[in-house]
Amino acid sequence: MIRREVAIVGIGQTQYAKALPPAAWDLAIEAVTAALADAGIDPADVDGMCRFAAPFEPVSEPMLVRALGIRELTFFAQSPLGGEALGAVVAHAAAAIVAGLARVVVVYRALSQSKGGRFGRADRGRSEPAGDIVVPEEDNRSFAWPYGLMSPGQLFALWAARYAAVHGLSAEDLTQALGSIALTQRRYAHNNPAAMMRDRKLDWDTYRRARMISEPLRLFDLCLENDGACAYVLTSADAARSLREDPVYVLSATQTLSPYREPMGIYTDDLLTLFPPAAAERLFAQAGVTRADVDVAEFYDATSFMPLRSLESYGFVPDGQAWRYVVDQGTGPDSPLPVNTHGGHLSEAYLHGMNGVLEGVRQLRGTARNQVTDAAVALVGAPAGSAMILAR
Amino acid sequence: MAIVPGMTDLTRPYWENANAGRLVTQRCGTCGRGWHPPLPACPHCHGTDLGWQQVRGDGTVYSCTVVRHATHAALADQIPYVIAIVELAEGPRLVTGITGCAPEDVRVGMAVRACFLRVADGIALPYFEPA
Repeated sequence: MIRREVAIVGIGQTQYAKALPPAAWDLAIEAVTAALADAGIDPADVDGMCRFAAPFEPVSEPMLVRALGIRELTFFAQSPLGGEALGAVVAHAAAAIVAGLARVVVVYRALSQSKGGRFGRADRGRSEPAGDIVVPEEDNRSFAWPYGLMSPGQLFALWAARYAAVHGLSAEDLTQALGSIALTQRRYAHNNPAAMMRDRKLDWDTYRRARMISEPLRLFDLCLENDGACAYVLTSADAARSLREDPVYVLSATQTLSPYREPMGIYTDDLLTLFPPAAAERLFAQAGVTRADVDVAEFYDATSFMPLRSLESYGFVPDGQAWRYVVDQGTGPDSPLPVNTHGGHLSEAYLHGMNGVLEGVRQLRGTARNQVTDAAVALVGAPAGSAMILAR
Repeated sequence: MAIVPGMTDLTRPYWENANAGRLVTQRCGTCGRGWHPPLPACPHCHGTDLGWQQVRGDGTVYSCTVVRHATHAALADQIPYVIAIVELAEGPRLVTGITGCAPEDVRVGMAVRACFLRVADGIALPYFEPA
């Protein structure tokens, strides 16, 4: 068990913006250096590194080892895919520390979409030569792209449309639910100096009139696209306590992968079951807490539909009820469970869920801009079921 | 400019059948179960005696979305178009498009029948139309 054996002792980030001049490597160095400074640890002493695998993460372990003057890594591990890696990297870091394979583990994520291609553009912004486009088969892409299913937003739209059909929502019901989430997160972002949308107002009129991307999802139902980097540092709980007075303990970290999750579920048994329910049960059982104990949740939100469905998938709200719950109770500061208090991917920046981890840490340190009073337990989770429960 | 499937030894039979006007799914010669998309071994009994079985072509729309914003330059002149996941009567699901009605008229639960759309030399894509 990793419960309370490992703690996050440092967090670091770069500026978040649509396009940042430095390359992903530079951004990664900046974020990792900041996280180590926050922890009070000399980069030379890092001996573990956990990361998202290529093609998502462009910065490799060797690049950071030589750039930061790290003496030796005795543990390194990569996690595939996107949201699936969110909790996995923490689980790997924690397992390594508990097993004595490493003492100081860095987790990082660097994004340079302005140079490396935006996730939302299937053509990566490059112009193609004339003639038919042949889709190389990988992860069943050749069965989807010929029909114009080529981007995450379209797939999320298929999820949301199925949700509405199964649970009997009208288009207006769904718009109200998704819009509540988008607007609430924008309001959180207004208090957050790091948020890309800190100065951009979003009201119902603007939300509704915005460009429809793929029905039923509109522009503001989909996450930002940007450059930036995040990093955090984990050590054993004992080492953490000698470094700072407010270590953030890892109570549990899960990863899960089941058939046809790759890269995002199309052929899964049930399009709405984003991950096996057993994974959420593991997350809570290993943490030794209940849903009622969670004070704040940072749900990976590539789309506004994800926090909605995550409330159900992680067991906070019964299946089919979250759309009503977010309209009636909300996800704001006075709601029963504040969600994405930094503005999330929709309004802070898109860092593959890593910025949600940083916000969770701030909440538990008591240093968040939209601080939840006495926050003691935070859940940071992806719709893919990869998640962590952190506590002070 | 069409978007056509690249093929591997595993996927080529699917497209060759589609080109001949047959919608098929992979089928295990040992346990008889079928699935889509194709795999190198039976996910149920792990057998490797695999073949292809023609399906009836009947299905139901499992989910659908009307795409209104082109995420690839090649699709700009097709906006708006509908993407559907169709559940075949035999069970497997596939990504497809719907013809024979306006994109906005496609509904989850709609009964559909397979048809084929030739998009390039030697390449026909399975599509579905209202049944």
